[in-house]
Amino acid sequence: MKTGKTAILASLLCKTYQMGDLKVEVLTDASLEVKKGEFMVMNGPSGSGKTTLLNIIGGIDRPTTGKIVVFGDDLSGKDEDFLASFRCHKVGFVFQSYNLVSTLTVAENVAFPMEWARKRGNHIENRVEELLELVGLQHRADHFPFQLSGGEQQRVAFARALANNPPLLLADEPTGNLDTKTSLKIIEILQDLKRDGKTIVVATHDERIFELADQKLHLEYGKLVTINE
Amino acid sequence: MSETFFPINDLLRRKLQTSLVLISLASCVASTLFLLLFSEKIGFGISLTVEGRLTYGFSIVFSRFIIFGGLLIFVVGSVVVSFMIFVMMSQRVRDIGLMKAAGCPNDLIFGYFMTELLIITFVGCFLGMALGILADFASTSFLINLGIQISQKPINFLLVLLVFVLFFILAVIVGAKPVLDTTRVEPARAISPIYYFGLSRESRFRVVSKSGLTFRLAMRSLFRRKSATIRIVVCLTAVFILVTVAVAGGIIAEQTTRSWVEKAVGRDIILIAHRQMCTEYNLLLSKFCETREDSQLNYTDKRYSIPEDVLNRLVSISGVKDVSARLVLKAQVKEVRNYTFNPETGATIPVGDDRKGESLIVGVEPGKLLSKWFLEGKVLSEGQGFEAMVGDSLAQKIFSVPLMQSMRLFDNDFAVIGVCLDPINNGNVTYVPLKALQSITGIQKSNVVMVEIDPSVNRAEILNQIRANISSVNPEFEVCELNEILDKNVGFLGYIWSVVKFLPLFCLSSASLCLIGYVMLAIAEQRQEFGVLRALGAKPKTVVTIISEQSFIVLLSSYAVGVALGIIITLLILVPKPLVTSYNVLEIAGWLLIAFAAIFVFSLYPATRFAKKPILEIMT
Repeated sequence: MKTGKTAILASLLCKTYQMGDLKVEVLTDASLEVKKGEFMVMNGPSGSGKTTLLNIIGGIDRPTTGKIVVFGDDLSGKDEDFLASFRCHKVGFVFQSYNLVSTLTVAENVAFPMEWARKRGNHIENRVEELLELVGLQHRADHFPFQLSGGEQQRVAFARALANNPPLLLADEPTGNLDTKTSLKIIEILQDLKRDGKTIVVATHDERIFELADQKLHLEYGKLVTINE
Repeated sequence: MSETFFPINDLLRRKLQTSLVLISLASCVASTLFLLLFSEKIGFGISLTVEGRLTYGFSIVFSRFIIFGGLLIFVVGSVVVSFMIFVMMSQRVRDIGLMKAAGCPNDLIFGYFMTELLIITFVGCFLGMALGILADFASTSFLINLGIQISQKPINFLLVLLVFVLFFILAVIVGAKPVLDTTRVEPARAISPIYYFGLSRESRFRVVSKSGLTFRLAMRSLFRRKSATIRIVVCLTAVFILVTVAVAGGIIAEQTTRSWVEKAVGRDIILIAHRQMCTEYNLLLSKFCETREDSQLNYTDKRYSIPEDVLNRLVSISGVKDVSARLVLKAQVKEVRNYTFNPETGATIPVGDDRKGESLIVGVEPGKLLSKWFLEGKVLSEGQGFEAMVGDSLAQKIFSVPLMQSMRLFDNDFAVIGVCLDPINNGNVTYVPLKALQSITGIQKSNVVMVEIDPSVNRAEILNQIRANISSVNPEFEVCELNEILDKNVGFLGYIWSVVKFLPLFCLSSASLCLIGYVMLAIAEQRQEFGVLRALGAKPKTVVTIISEQSFIVLLSSYAVGVALGIIITLLILVPKPLVTSYNVLEIAGWLLIAFAAIFVFSLYPATRFAKKPILEIMT
């Protein structure tokens, strides 16, 4: 593992949602630092704020208070166009519920972040082939998401997250709904990515992924607790 | 949960969707009812306005537009209502499948969703009915306050009830179909996305550009909602037919009818006659645009006769292009019965009923007519004796098949060879050769002279010369320009057509609402996907681009078909022998493009609002 400069720096992040009269505090003074190339894993019970923290790191959500700096950019003050470009080029996101675009085929789902980034046609074709081979779904390239099983959809989501070769990969329960065989395949991919020097942040309960981590955090009622350094 | 509570709870649970369907349904019923009530008033207004004015032929052109417009308005309303209800019930297909899979009996499921359908349809139609009446009342008051002449007759409650019942039945039938269809299929099929997505397998993957990608997403979503897309296209097509008929038809018909009047009266023609005869001739022409009482003028009074000297002097003035003497009088004309032979049965069939009526009789020199009528049949020609050309109103009033019949005038029969549109005396006119009229009446002199001045010469100078010559013969004689009354008649036509063109404005707003409803449904269906796209790097404007592409495709398809059909209907059915100038084409294209752009821009409102929402709000 090669770690160096800071990839993610979060200080005193707070996130509060207003639901009618009720104020729900999802994150409370969460601070963390992830170096480039580091593999960070966090766990915690449902509703502890894991997904919210991942969303804030990925520029999908904004903290109510606090500061989040990713690859030197302070995301809290940036406009939506900047964040869109940041998510497209810097972040690969694997959602808990896969979130594939139902009107696009498997190959198209993997290709569209690259088409978005205006990559060349040849490059996109080769990359789609390479990524589908990596997740073992070449034979499903022209199928629609609803024609795939949950495990297959998760693998497509992984391939899509890697499409633009982003320096940061965020994964929310990547093995949560999968069978053992598919989970192992996902873990194998994560190991390869770690070897390639990607910065990875994963929210999971899977002990096997926990074993791979350089930094392990625990979230409880919105508060971060470091398990080891 | 009781059978009554489930539908109510289900409707309340889907607050956004229920409100959307209710608003759309109510607004469509309201706008349709409003349009029918309002166009009835406009139509009524026109018929009131034209009572005792225009001619039969002109009235026919207007009433065709009003009837066709009313019919289209109803079609548009029906299509919109069926579209909204179909979309609402189609979105319950998956729930029905899940309930079936959980063991719920078919009749219970059908009962649940039919109750839901009945509740929403009744509430929507009722609200629409109330809103429609209110809108009609408000706009009538508004127009009256603006000083626009419009009928204030009470609301036609029979029409209101008819619209309510028809729309209610239509909505229930259309909405029941997807429920019934789904209760019949196996649960596994009903809950499968393939059943309601309609997508199976795509052809081989091809890389596209960024703009190609948004187009691909837009097209796939349109096809995924194939049924709803077809319905919205049909709905907007009907709207565009109505708009085209009203706008293009209105412009073409105005141009055409204006040319009929101008050619019949003659542009830049001057009239020379005795002072009282001039006034009478103006009165006869102004009957087209104003309600006027008949005068008791004795046309055959010798004082009105044009001396031969006047004609000779007029001909000798250089710059006078043509001089046409006319003998104008009023007389009783009688339809002469004719017989036709049926080659199949060998029977002789009588044509005509020996009807009679008073008509303005104009004796003209066939070689110097100066007027070019829009007519059916032939125009009077030189060398022919007892032939007549009748005005459209007279033809309608006392003839069965005028071109097969003759008319009796001063105990002489004249063969009817043409039916012309002429504004004089509201089309109650008969043109016969001057010599024939003189021979049967014994009046040897004309009482009116029409003069055409060469357009290349100084008109004012020539007019002064004519005035000087005429007054030297008889100071009672006057030179009268017909352009003023001609402009009045043409202006009146313009006023009526502007009322007809006013109709599609309301229909356009109803179409905009409908498209906004479709766009909102499209957003609701693609909400999760848009969230994902945004989360993976799409900018807010990309979401607007995808939605606007969908809206544009739907609108363009409807526009192409609607405008083409509208033009065909206008040119082939509504306006006989249309007159279209290149300026008209530009004007029509301009208005239709404005209508297209307005609906398109309005339809993007939900998209622009949606794009501003935070990603997480979209995805949850």
